[in-house]
Amino acid sequence: MPNAVEVSGLRKSYGRVHAVRDVGFTVGYGEIVALLGPNGAGKTTTLEILEGFRSRDGGTAEVLGYDPGERSSARELRERTGLVLQDIAVEPYLTVRETIARSAGYYRAPRDVTEVIGLVGLAGLERRKVRSLSGGQKRRLDLALGLIGGPALLYLDEPTTGFDPAARRDAWQLVRGLRAAGLTVLLTTHDMDEAQALADRVVLLSGGVVVAAGEPAALGGREAERARISFRLPDGYRAADLPVPSHSVPSHSVPSHGVPSHGADGVVVVETDTPTQALHRLTDWAITRGIALTGLTVQRPSLEDVYLELTSEGASARAPERSTR
Amino acid sequence: MTTAVAARRRSGRPAVPGAGQRSNLRLLAHQVRYEQLSFWRNPQSAVFTFVFPVVFVIIMGALFGGIGKNSYFGGLSALQYYVPTIAALSVLGSCYGQLAVALAARRQAGILKRIRATPLPAWAYFAGLLAHCVLVSVIDIALIVVVGRLYGVPFPSHWLAIMLTLVLGAASFCALGVAVASVISNAEAAPAVAQLVLFPLMFISGTYLPINSALLNRVSGWLPVRPFNEALTGPFARHAGVDWRNLAVLAAWGAVGAVVAVRRFRWDPRPE
Repeated sequence: MPNAVEVSGLRKSYGRVHAVRDVGFTVGYGEIVALLGPNGAGKTTTLEILEGFRSRDGGTAEVLGYDPGERSSARELRERTGLVLQDIAVEPYLTVRETIARSAGYYRAPRDVTEVIGLVGLAGLERRKVRSLSGGQKRRLDLALGLIGGPALLYLDEPTTGFDPAARRDAWQLVRGLRAAGLTVLLTTHDMDEAQALADRVVLLSGGVVVAAGEPAALGGREAERARISFRLPDGYRAADLPVPSHSVPSHSVPSHGVPSHGADGVVVVETDTPTQALHRLTDWAITRGIALTGLTVQRPSLEDVYLELTSEGASARAPERSTR
Repeated sequence: MTTAVAARRRSGRPAVPGAGQRSNLRLLAHQVRYEQLSFWRNPQSAVFTFVFPVVFVIIMGALFGGIGKNSYFGGLSALQYYVPTIAALSVLGSCYGQLAVALAARRQAGILKRIRATPLPAWAYFAGLLAHCVLVSVIDIALIVVVGRLYGVPFPSHWLAIMLTLVLGAASFCALGVAVASVISNAEAAPAVAQLVLFPLMFISGTYLPINSALLNRVSGWLPVRPFNEALTGPFARHAGVDWRNLAVLAAWGAVGAVVAVRRFRWDPRPE
């Protein structure tokens, strides 16, 4: 089965600003894919080219088998795609039901209005005027407008910006439910938690190019990276006293010497491929001596670390080589 | 579920020839209905649209109600002069001014972009707006005629000519309103720009005072407002029929507006 979205070598400039320099990725049917990146990375421009709002300067793009830049098929494509924009854009004086029913009338075969109201969690508010809804309720209404046409593909542009944590979790749950019902979702976000929680695959953009792509857990080789155990030693103990075999405790700051490093603030960092064993030895050693390893933490590089590293200035200059597509 | 959706889609496709036309009509009716609903629900827009012209006729009646047929007003009584020009003003206000402002505001709010994301064709959206503007103009003119009657202005006799002039004027000024909304980029500037163009134009076109300058009349005769005033004044007050010459000038301006609108109209709040 072909992909729902196929993009390669996409380019777009605004005057002298190269918003999108080389973007390529695919979205399979039934997948949730997140375009992740800082502001100005080219996420929204990419999305708007696929939505048919902007022309592209170069590259190819195909959405549900149609070219989004082709005017003759634009209406057909709009029948089959739904979108939720960054801004809440609804007429204030209509009721919830009227707003959704109005959009439903634009589609050849819309979904049932009542069903969609229930789906986005606005049941009971059908007769409320849009202007009296809370911000979160308006976003739900926006989502309902994206779904009313019964789309095969849904675009979500920063869907949970400004949500409180509970509302965000609800929205994520809703999007997962849509995927379970067969919908394909392409979303943009600058929120790493969101990408991690929602997306089957993440396309990391920076400076208008794809710097990494893959499952959130494996992004940027994160899976293969070593765990870091960090803690503080009490006075009188040195990093060299630790029982961890030297080959598995290369120093964080001096990798080849095999000695745990002693940070300026007294934090010892142990990097290891076998965190379970290393932790056991460290805690056993500490308990035997009756001392505490304060501030003990075990971490893998978070998506945030990978994100910050890959989207930093230097990384975007290297980007074309890093890009896997 | 996906297959169910696909099946519904197939059955929803127009299979019979002519069904496309019917579905377009249905789409248009749907759009007109919801434009009306949005308008009437907004108390501000409804009140301003209908109260302003009525108050204007009342003020003019209070000021000049006693002035009978008079050469200054071209052989008409003051109110015979003002009823059609205020009728023209109300059409201008709702078709040109309010439309330009409303479209700029809807674009800025992202409402136009949201509409553009649906399969609703652009023609249906604009046809819905035009139908709305014509309807509002008809109500405005009816109100003005009734209030004018209270000041002794007889009901006009050529309703057909008035309707034709009204529809053509509304269409032309709508096109110009969309054109203005197309060339201004932010909603805050829209009312100022729209008024800046309209106010002097109305003044030199005799909307507020009869103009006794041959030069001004000649110039304004080629601009859109005076032809509309005259085309309405004829059937309103002079027992004249359709004023084809003035309507041709008006239609030409409408065509210019339409060309600008088609070429420059943007749905997206941010420039390309």
